[in-house]
Amino acid sequence: MTPGAVTAPSIATTAGPSAAPLCHHRHRRRGPVPRGARGSPARPPRAARPPPAGSGPSSRRLPLHGRRSRRLHCGKLTSLAAAAAPPAPALAAMGAVTDDEVIRKRLLIDGDGAGDDRRINLLVKSFIKWCNSGSQEEGYTQYQRMLSTLSQCEFSMGKTLLVYDMNLREMENYEKIYKDIENSIAAAHEKISECKKQILQAKRIRKNRQEYDALAKVIQHHPDRHETLKQLEALGKELQNLSHIKENVEDKLELRRKQFHVLLSTIHELQQTLENDEKLSEAEESQETQMEAEAKQ
Amino acid sequence: MALSSPSGGVRRARQLLHVSVLAQSASPCGRFLAAANDFGEIAIFGLSAALSAEAKEENRRAVAVVRAHNGPVYSLASTERLLLSGSDGEIRAWSWAELGRKGCRELWTRRPPCRSSLEVPEINGLEVNQRHELRGHQDLVHVVALREQLPQVLSGGEDGTVRLWDLRTGAQVQLIEVHKYQECSRPQLGKWIRCLATESDWMVCGGGPALTLWHLRSGTPTTVFGLAQPQHHALFHQDLVLSGGVGPALHLLQLSGDVRGKVPVTPAALRSLCLHPRSPEHQVLTVAGNSPKIDVFTNLGYRAFSLSFT
Repeated sequence: MTPGAVTAPSIATTAGPSAAPLCHHRHRRRGPVPRGARGSPARPPRAARPPPAGSGPSSRRLPLHGRRSRRLHCGKLTSLAAAAAPPAPALAAMGAVTDDEVIRKRLLIDGDGAGDDRRINLLVKSFIKWCNSGSQEEGYTQYQRMLSTLSQCEFSMGKTLLVYDMNLREMENYEKIYKDIENSIAAAHEKISECKKQILQAKRIRKNRQEYDALAKVIQHHPDRHETLKQLEALGKELQNLSHIKENVEDKLELRRKQFHVLLSTIHELQQTLENDEKLSEAEESQETQMEAEAKQ
Repeated sequence: MALSSPSGGVRRARQLLHVSVLAQSASPCGRFLAAANDFGEIAIFGLSAALSAEAKEENRRAVAVVRAHNGPVYSLASTERLLLSGSDGEIRAWSWAELGRKGCRELWTRRPPCRSSLEVPEINGLEVNQRHELRGHQDLVHVVALREQLPQVLSGGEDGTVRLWDLRTGAQVQLIEVHKYQECSRPQLGKWIRCLATESDWMVCGGGPALTLWHLRSGTPTTVFGLAQPQHHALFHQDLVLSGGVGPALHLLQLSGDVRGKVPVTPAALRSLCLHPRSPEHQVLTVAGNSPKIDVFTNLGYRAFSLSFT
């Protein structure tokens, strides 16, 4: 068993997961097999094994193993045997290609690394064997083993169902998150267009402010209106004052002129009267002398 | 200048080295850009295709090149269905629907009286039922702009004045002699006004005199932008003034006078700036000048890619 145990895992790794069913069985017994790349030289001895199937049964398991492997893997392992002919490096490559197809097929059929299918088949076979077996204690142990296999099957089925549920819920969760993200993207778009409108508004406001500033600068060059008005008022008052004074002066002038006029006219009159008087007195004198002259004659 | 086909050949390659794009115009649907050069050709570019996410190198070339005039095409303007191109003394109209196809012919040709070179402004400048002869400029008219809120036209020219005309009566409403103002005049460069842009009560004009922001109601210059080189084209955009001129840079200026940015561009001097509103918040700017390459800006801070005249 030991050489088989040694070689099988190594074969499993080099042949890829195609030999997974083989080593899976072993996994349950010996823990996880390190899936590192092992040397391909281990392959030819294993590849040479299946044809003498059923030969050299060192333990009970091996013939089953061998038979099962033959039934389930005959196609794959014959291809492996065929592949054993080409040299080792090319062998690994070609084996990987065919192994991939087989893996895909296996996974599609089994889903769980092909453990359950095998288990169920084993169960059926052991059941038939048990029905056909004769002795009591063997039958009893077989019966126990079958029960344990059955419970293992149930357990794995329950696990798969739980995983399925979990996947569904994860999907829902992701859908929800996806919708949330979409909503927030739409909201962000909205906000962006709002902000763009606000930018336009702000630019308009800034432009108005700058126009105002430009005009204000020009206006500042001109003197202040209040001061000019005050100056205007003061000037107006002065003007009024002066015109007042002018009126007064003119009135006074008129008055004086009139007074002088009166004075002058009175003087003239007096002069006239005096002249008149003189003339009169002269006239009287001449008349007197004339009368005297006449009287003397 | 008599080339049989606009593509291929050493001669064409050499010619392309000397191409200056003088004017641009956006199509009414917003998907195309028309660019006119000083050899009399108009190239149509598929702007939407070039801006899309999976644009490739051939999207950046002209979709079609039309031999429009025998002389340089100085200006382009677009209406709903027509593209007008102005050259030495004549204006031709092309239908936008047919420009992409081969053998496109112009719809009509008009010769305005006694002009030597022509600038075509926004389209309404040539509505047939409302043509007035706006007499007043002493020299060449370089640039014309329409005012949005009032039915007026501003024109700036070689004589250094900006005149406002009323569209209904054809009379001159206001006259601004830019070179007479101390703040902005630069006698060493001349008094010609080359670029003019207007928005509500404000106007920006420049050329020989420094680029200045004017308040039209009071006719006073408010901000002088300290750009050393004469500017060829200016635009109002949101809260900025974009301007390009001599020197390979696009200037972003704020109305307060601060230079917010000076973006390097491919042409050595810029002749034309064109804004394409793709959505109210997002606009694409194309600039062109003394180079067969037209730079496209999706963000005003840097050049996104270049379209090339072929």
